[in-house]
Amino acid sequence: MKKHILIVDDEASIRSLLVEFLTRSGYRVTDANSPHEAQQAVKRDPPQLVISDLQLADSDGLDMIDQLKASLPDTPMMLLTGVLFDPKVIRDVLSKKVSAYLQKTAPLAQVLGEVHRLIGPP
Amino acid sequence: MNSPTHPPAPAPDRTIWRIQACFLLISAVVIAVAVASIRNINRSMASSDWVNHTHAVMLEVDGVFSSLQAGNGASMAFVATGDARNQGSARAAFADMAEHLEVAKALTRQEPPQHELVLRVEALANRRAEFDRSLLGSQPGAARSLLSADAGGDAMGEIQRAVEKLTEQEMALLADRDRTSFLQAQTIRWTVWSGVALDVLLLGGAGWLVSDALAARRRAAAVLEEANRLLETKVRERTAELMASNENLTTENLERRWVNQALEHQLRYDQLIISSITDLVLVVTKALNISRMNPAVVRLTGREPQELVHRPLAALARLAEQPLVDPLAQALVDGQDLREQAAWLEDKRGRKIPVRLSLFPLRDRDKVVGGVVILRIMPQDAPPAEKATPA
Repeated sequence: MKKHILIVDDEASIRSLLVEFLTRSGYRVTDANSPHEAQQAVKRDPPQLVISDLQLADSDGLDMIDQLKASLPDTPMMLLTGVLFDPKVIRDVLSKKVSAYLQKTAPLAQVLGEVHRLIGPP
Repeated sequence: MNSPTHPPAPAPDRTIWRIQACFLLISAVVIAVAVASIRNINRSMASSDWVNHTHAVMLEVDGVFSSLQAGNGASMAFVATGDARNQGSARAAFADMAEHLEVAKALTRQEPPQHELVLRVEALANRRAEFDRSLLGSQPGAARSLLSADAGGDAMGEIQRAVEKLTEQEMALLADRDRTSFLQAQTIRWTVWSGVALDVLLLGGAGWLVSDALAARRRAAAVLEEANRLLETKVRERTAELMASNENLTTENLERRWVNQALEHQLRYDQLIISSITDLVLVVTKALNISRMNPAVVRLTGREPQELVHRPLAALARLAEQPLVDPLAQALVDGQDLREQAAWLEDKRGRKIPVRLSLFPLRDRDKVVGGVVILRIMPQDAPPAEKATPA
């Protein structure tokens, strides 16, 4: 069975692009536009990887990741955000909370490379 | 209206024509051989009939002579013995002779030379038979005197010669017919064997044409199959190339959309940050004309963007101190920041508001193309003025 990825972002255009790209790459993809939807999706079909934005409409991506870790302790979490963090912040703060951090300006090939690194091919 | 297009007509198959011609020739040879054979068989049958006929003529003529001899002998015996039985035998023999003569004449009616000879034999035999009958009808003494005066041996010899001549003629004709029959048989043999040989050759030729045509078709089929295989391989390769190319294009398209989306998102995000700043932020050109501003400028001055764009910054804000050399222009020339300078902001109603002015040169690849001006509202009682400091 194909590996399952959950994408959480409040911007529909970004979600649809990522869903299209990762589906074409062979993964099974579910998307959610809020932490609430993400929780429901996790209960319905636990993913092998969660990709989340930082600034969500009604919450914080890092907070949501903390909550999801309660039910998915071994699942890698990737932060994909437009907020540009200082390398020190990434090293000292983000790396303790997420498995990978990527800026939204990163090419899709790099996104796929990180996905492969975290959960392997589909 | 377009005329319908027809596929090119296939080239005529000459092999079929040749095979058909071969079989037509074979049929013609078979028919010719059959006709010639039947004709020769008919001739042979006619020859056989004729041989039987000739032998019958010879037998009848011999029968004439034999009957005449028997009648003559019986007549002589009657004259010598006077025995009536000899008289009956003679008469029976002569009756046989007459019968043989009639049959011989009938058999030779269609053959004038032989018929002539038969008539001659008949005349001689009848003359001799008449003499013998006269002997049988005479008194013994008279018969003996008639007999002594008879040159019977000559008469019988003449009849025998005539019979032999007729027999020789018939035998000569038989020999001719035998030769003819032999030649006819030879002709039949040659005709049949030649026809068979020709048919075998033609069948061999037809077989060769068929096998050659089949071989050519097999070769053509193999060539076609190979061409199809190559075409399929090329189509598969081309399809794979197109699919790969399409995949690449789709990926590139996705990547481009992603980049645009990310840039648009980043721009919007940055714009959001700038718009949320309560300080007045303006972008000026190197000539210190206003090109952009944040909403705080519009809100605080009451001036709309179209009133400000492409207007000198001095129309909106001025440094509290005005030295000979404009510090703002100099800062852009030098590429140095100008921070926290005391200045006045003039709103739409002409009210002067004290502010702190900072100018940050805007660089595009190490070249200053303008500057970002930040005006921070100061409390009314705050002391203005502060010297420019290099960044």
